[in-house]
Amino acid sequence: MRGKKGRLIVLFFFLSPFLLMLASLSIGRYHIPPLDLGKTLVRTVSPASFPEVPPEYRDILLRIRLPRLLLALLAGAALSVSGASLQALFKNPLVNEYILGISFGAAFGAALSLVFLGKGFPPQIAAFLFALAAVLAVLVVSGRSGSHTVSLLLTGVIVSAFFQALLALVEFFANPYALQSLFFWLMGSLSLATWSDLSVSLPVMGLGTAALVLMRWRLNVLSLSEEEAAALGVNVRKEKLLIIVLTSLSTAAVTAVAGVIGWIGLIVPHLVRMMVGADNRKVVPLSAALGASVLIVADDITRVAASFEIPIGILTSLIGIPFFIFLLGRSRKVWL
Amino acid sequence: MTIDVRALTFGYGEFRLSVPGLRFESRKVVSIVGRNGAGKSTLLKLLGGILPAPKRSVLLDGRALSELKSAERARLISYVSQELAPALNYRVIDFVLMGRASFVPTFSVPSREDRRLAEEAIRFVGLDGFEDREFSQLSSGERRLALVARTLAQSPQVFLLDEPTTFLDPKHEVEVMELCRKLAAEKGKTVIVTLHNLEMAVKYSDEMVFLKKGEVAASGPPDRVLSEALLAEVYDIPMAIVPFDGRMLILR
Repeated sequence: MRGKKGRLIVLFFFLSPFLLMLASLSIGRYHIPPLDLGKTLVRTVSPASFPEVPPEYRDILLRIRLPRLLLALLAGAALSVSGASLQALFKNPLVNEYILGISFGAAFGAALSLVFLGKGFPPQIAAFLFALAAVLAVLVVSGRSGSHTVSLLLTGVIVSAFFQALLALVEFFANPYALQSLFFWLMGSLSLATWSDLSVSLPVMGLGTAALVLMRWRLNVLSLSEEEAAALGVNVRKEKLLIIVLTSLSTAAVTAVAGVIGWIGLIVPHLVRMMVGADNRKVVPLSAALGASVLIVADDITRVAASFEIPIGILTSLIGIPFFIFLLGRSRKVWL
Repeated sequence: MTIDVRALTFGYGEFRLSVPGLRFESRKVVSIVGRNGAGKSTLLKLLGGILPAPKRSVLLDGRALSELKSAERARLISYVSQELAPALNYRVIDFVLMGRASFVPTFSVPSREDRRLAEEAIRFVGLDGFEDREFSQLSSGERRLALVARTLAQSPQVFLLDEPTTFLDPKHEVEVMELCRKLAAEKGKTVIVTLHNLEMAVKYSDEMVFLKKGEVAASGPPDRVLSEALLAEVYDIPMAIVPFDGRMLILR
């Protein structure tokens, strides 16, 4: 991945989410010809121009598709970068925010907030607190080593199950009206994105992801044994906690608005590693780019594949779980 | 850099390590020997700050080790553990570059200068041409050398190597020990290793420390302290010291 060819591939990686986003603006139940995208934009700025463009284009683009695609872009990047970071930190190829209980901790927190504090209170706060509580519980229960594959995965499953039970309890107490929206949100959907939800979530995802991208080389060092990283001069406790907080922050911000979108954080970093090797200086930023592209495409599929919308969380799980099983059995080249 | 150990005690479970006083000086290779469980690795970890030593029991040029911050400590002392198993299959250059961690800010990446130092370290251990090779393609001897290169890139004053020659064939074993000598002699570093191979220890070290059940049985230059009585006491089996061609062979 070096030299001129490598540079071109990297450029392609980073441009593709934006090109896909542009293309996706015209895709949907209501087709908008690509040329009219530009015309609508001009018309928004100066209302007198292009009178032939239907006025509803503007509403569809600005109020429905743009927020949704921005969410897909940032959520895809945030989940993939979180996954890549957690895999390096725990020295474990099978770890992601879903396995570590972060996703369901966040989902429980957000649901609790939505049902008992109402829509006016930002659900991101409770989502973050419970995401953090879940992952810390996993760490405490699985023992101080924290990197032992089996005990970590097992504890993650148990803690996730616990938070799913709590979530069911919240659903049980929710009124039927709240329950219905809770139901669709939980399965994972980008369709509920409104600008007011996004005004909290997007900056948080952006912040968490950007900080993790800046720590990309540090993740190489943290992927060594804790003893080695300490001997190399890293304050392991502090930086481990920092990464856990950052991943919980971005995952909570995604979950609070889009529900549980599982498995993206597992598949994407692995695909990137297969292409560029183990170095997190490349893996983390390229995971952001590929994750954004993958989630935009996945969202396009949910919008056009059937006459009704398939929840994106179900789609990513349907693709992700077979991939997880496939990884369980092979791929020893990148992971020693 | 001189390391002074004073009234160092450390215990976990049944085990107790106690060192009333020891001194490690620069330009010298010191080997710590003794049976399994005698406390060699524990002593090394205490010297490296990997395990917490009591306050002011380990002094670096008079400064207490416990008062140093992690990054500051890593620029002075490097510690290399016995086990070597990175979870990810890094390239040699990326692996050696990690030695620069204490010089690179948390939210940053290594500079050109860091890379140059890493390449220099790779040349010093004789792994030139292996920069782009992945870890999985290295033999265990080459992995060991990569590890030494990473330690060199850290550019510390003190090198603590825990059994650096285990699993190595005789050629690599000699190479690693020659490297230790080179570090002490050419670069003026303080080198402390734990070893099981007594002949290697005698041949390559300026001083030896014999540990038995957490206590120092003897310490000093090999030709002064080494005796059959001491070996029998430390290792609990009779051994014979046979002079041969200006060297000492140890037979068991």
